[in-house]
Amino acid sequence: MAAATSSSAVAASTPQGVPERRGIPAASFVEDVETYLRQAGLDVNSALAFLQERLQQYKMVEMKLLAQQRELQAKIPDIEKCLGIVATLQAKKALGEALIADFELSEGIYSRAKIEDSDSVCLWLGANVMLEYSCDEANDLLKKNLENARASLEVLVGDLQFLRDQQTITQVTIARIFNWDVHQRRSKQSTIKET
Amino acid sequence: MQQGDGTEAQVTWEDQQNINRFGRLNNRFHELTDEIRLAKEANENLEDAGNELILCDEDVVRFQIGEVFAHMPMDDVEARLEQMKEDAAKKLERLEEEKESILAQMAELKKILYGKFKDAINLEED
Repeated sequence: MAAATSSSAVAASTPQGVPERRGIPAASFVEDVETYLRQAGLDVNSALAFLQERLQQYKMVEMKLLAQQRELQAKIPDIEKCLGIVATLQAKKALGEALIADFELSEGIYSRAKIEDSDSVCLWLGANVMLEYSCDEANDLLKKNLENARASLEVLVGDLQFLRDQQTITQVTIARIFNWDVHQRRSKQSTIKET
Repeated sequence: MQQGDGTEAQVTWEDQQNINRFGRLNNRFHELTDEIRLAKEANENLEDAGNELILCDEDVVRFQIGEVFAHMPMDDVEARLEQMKEDAAKKLERLEEEKESILAQMAELKKILYGKFKDAINLEED
């Protein structure tokens, strides 16, 4: 049984692929509706209700993951900007020049700063904490953070794809059970008409 | 989902995988549309910046890095801007190519799925 843990591989040697991914249960694919209902011991309405609930749960998880994705997508450009500044500072230091920069003091009000030979930078770590690092250390830390953020984003995107696949499977199953039910009623009606 | 008349073809695991793949491609297509819009805006902004630079005749330009405007000599700024424009153009091209590829794949899948399910499936945008 080939467990597909990468986000791109969907095909597996069994029709079900992975049973779950990072806490998200996989939707089981129904080969035949009648067999499924008989084995589960459910009537049509209960089965539909169960699947609808599953669909809602999937949607809730999707919203959470989308929020996380937005966060990460905002964080990555931030880290890149920080890296840009550190690089500029290092370049200026190499030239032996001071960096003159205009920065926003308050809304619409800017002030000028002259940054002399700077060996260190302070990095905002969040939670009201700011630490001083040497330029090289800062570079390493920022690059590591950037890599981690990108890797997390990739995993998250994989999770979302998996989740959407399960939603699609569930929706299709709901439609099939519904149609099967319609088919059953029609054939019952036509047998009643014939007798 | 479409309501069938109860006589449509059976859905196999392969069909389900095709439907899933179509769903994924469709999602990616929508994301790409947004990304392309942003990339086009970025390209235009860089163009405008380039034009402003040509008009400006000062030696020192305030170049935005992060939240601050660093004073940089005109030549450096021009070089950096050129680099940024090149990167942005390449990114836009890459996104457009991906979009084309996705549209082609979606068309293929539509053929397969409509071929099997005809009216029982709806793959169009609402």
